[in-house]
Amino acid sequence: MSLLDALPTPRIRWEGQHPNVVLISLSLVMLCAFWTVDVVSLAPNRIVMGTGYGALEAFGWPGVVLITLLLSSIGLFACQPTLPHYRALLTVVVGLMALMPVGLIASGLLLIDPELPQARLGIGTAYWVVLFVLMLCLVEIRLRLNLTRLWPTLLLTGVALVWWLCAALWLDNLALVQEFRARDRQFLTAVGQHIRLVSIAVGVSVVLGLLLAMLMRRYARLQKGAFTLLNFLQTIPSLALFGLLLAPLAWLAAKVPFLAQLGVSGIGTTPALIALIAYSLLPMVRNTYIALEEVSPDTLEAAKGMGMRAGQRFWQVRLPLALPVLLEGVRITTVQAIGLTAVAALIGAGGLGTFIFQGLGQAAMDMVLLGALPILIMALVVDAGLGALAEALRPGGH
Amino acid sequence: MIELSHVSKRFDTEIAVDDISLRVPKGKFCALVGTSGCGKSTTLRMINRLIEHSGGEIILDGQAIEAYDPVKLRRRIGYVIQHTGLFPHWRVARNIGLVPRLLKWPAAEVQARVEELMGLLGLPVGEFGHKYPHQLSGGQAQRVGVARALAADPDILLMDEPFGALDPITREKLQDELAKLQARMQKTVLFVTHDMDEALKLADHLVVMRDGRIVQQGTPLALLQHPADPFVESLLGGLERGLKQAALTRVRDHMTSMGPTLPAQSRIPADFSLRQALSMMLRDHSDRLTVVDQHDVPIGELTLRRIIKEAQFDRGSSRE
Ligand SMILES: Nc1ncnc2c1ncn2[C@@H]1O[C@H](COP(=O)(O)OP(=O)(O)OP(=O)(O)O)[C@@H](O)[C@H]1O
Ligand SMILES: [Mg+2]
Repeated sequence: MSLLDALPTPRIRWEGQHPNVVLISLSLVMLCAFWTVDVVSLAPNRIVMGTGYGALEAFGWPGVVLITLLLSSIGLFACQPTLPHYRALLTVVVGLMALMPVGLIASGLLLIDPELPQARLGIGTAYWVVLFVLMLCLVEIRLRLNLTRLWPTLLLTGVALVWWLCAALWLDNLALVQEFRARDRQFLTAVGQHIRLVSIAVGVSVVLGLLLAMLMRRYARLQKGAFTLLNFLQTIPSLALFGLLLAPLAWLAAKVPFLAQLGVSGIGTTPALIALIAYSLLPMVRNTYIALEEVSPDTLEAAKGMGMRAGQRFWQVRLPLALPVLLEGVRITTVQAIGLTAVAALIGAGGLGTFIFQGLGQAAMDMVLLGALPILIMALVVDAGLGALAEALRPGGH
Repeated sequence: MIELSHVSKRFDTEIAVDDISLRVPKGKFCALVGTSGCGKSTTLRMINRLIEHSGGEIILDGQAIEAYDPVKLRRRIGYVIQHTGLFPHWRVARNIGLVPRLLKWPAAEVQARVEELMGLLGLPVGEFGHKYPHQLSGGQAQRVGVARALAADPDILLMDEPFGALDPITREKLQDELAKLQARMQKTVLFVTHDMDEALKLADHLVVMRDGRIVQQGTPLALLQHPADPFVESLLGGLERGLKQAALTRVRDHMTSMGPTLPAQSRIPADFSLRQALSMMLRDHSDRLTVVDQHDVPIGELTLRRIIKEAQFDRGSSRE
């Protein structure tokens, strides 16, 4: 899920002129995908599976030559990786990402019969492969150029804006756009529900996690039991956990009318939140506990030796020093919760999962995408944002 | 004044400190020397109550330490920690100002004190005040550690291997600066080290520990002259003992009246040590040196015969 972490984070030293094998291979993968696999597909209506089209049919000769040149230039620049070449690579990669929706517009013009305005343009496998591999390239280039996480985030935001603009103005035929147009209200509600579920679950587990971690530090015996329980919870498949909660909560709601009035029931938001919190607690508690324990004993001894009281030591020394690792826990928890919340749709909690499961039921892949893409984007944004925040909060701003 | 009488500390079954008694009079510098794990740090940490002692009595300024509130006690004792223990998330100036702030000094006074101390320790505020500890060299970090310990002007200073992790040159420089500071400030210092030369150079009173017990204590010279057992003797450098003794004695105290004035390279300033004088004689294959004052004016003569004859050195006059 955390794409920006797909490659190891340790900063790589400047290594002179050895060809960058990673980028060369990635460039070859993209060329292969571009030439051999379907770029787009076209379907006369929503349910019928579309027909696939290769690059030549979709873009025509000029387009194919241009894109082939751009894709090979990645490999060529990578043969002699100097600083200016890495900068050029960054430009090419980001440029390609921004060009992709333009390609879709072009193929729409080439392929769609003006007589058939109902036709739906689907994004083909090659498109997804190239997009994914370009992101990997971005990670690699970020490491080589020693950029902070903020840079790719900003660049990707720019790319996303271009996509959005094209989709809103010129891509009426794109199946994804049509799915969205057909239920834009519903979509916004779902996004809202999704964000609400995730924020409540993460918010509660941050507070509970901090409390639990602090209790564990005080009572060593609690530590083993709590970790065993949380580890166990984490192994239950999410759907099973939702199911397990159904019966007891339904029973509770039937027996205690007050709880029912509060909205507790066997299905819906309550069991979803309980399950989400149960899953979120382990990464949260584990990271908080480790973060608090990891603070250098020398520093803490110094704090005590200088005459700081227990509260002062905790708030002024232990907590601030633990913050980056603690935020790492929040990041992992949030990304995980964003994904899990999709499953919550199955028990009627709403959220973007609704589209995924409805789409699966109707075999409408574009509707699945309408649910899955925003989840992926949300996860990426949270991942990058919290990662950058943790980086900025390193002791001494380093 | 720090006074320990029959103090012990046991951790579960292990006895870390075993029935030690020592006294550091006000304004004196006491060095605690011994091999790793012999209980030096434990002794220090019992004094500021980071560890509670399990037997005996520790008296500070006439009062048993149990009578003090531990937090207030720690704020009046300067503590320099083995690995600096600076707060990595605070800038240098904030690190140094910690204890005054804990004592609720007005902000302006804290600021003034921090600047004063940084000047005293050769860390220009403009250059270092805004740095974080990880941006400092080892020597600079140790200076900050010392400055932090001195911030609230405590009478008592506990220093746990403050120069342990430094290269020999930086180490020696900081030792010299500490000696100068101590001559000016006259703190009551308990200083832990396992470097005998450092201890000999700085201490008024030397305590040798082994396995939690005190093996011998006294002035550096007394220990050099009469080591109690082979352990102390080897710690003091075995065969090098004579030279270490010479290092504690000033040329000034052994020179005779003027002889013939020798060429420039055979001149030695009067406040150099006899060890340095011996080294120069070895280097130049000569048995005499001309002693000069700080303006390079000859004031006497030093001969090898005299050094060897009067080997019963007493304490140099430069530090009493
Ligand atoms: N908190 C503790 N719990 C149990 N044993 C301890 C504790 N602190 C110290 N000890 C033991 O007490 C003994 C003395 O330790 P201490 O840290 O005082 O040694 P030291 O002389 O300062 O050594 P070094 O020169 O390596 O710093 C050691 O054997 C150590 O294992
Ligand atoms: Mg120690």
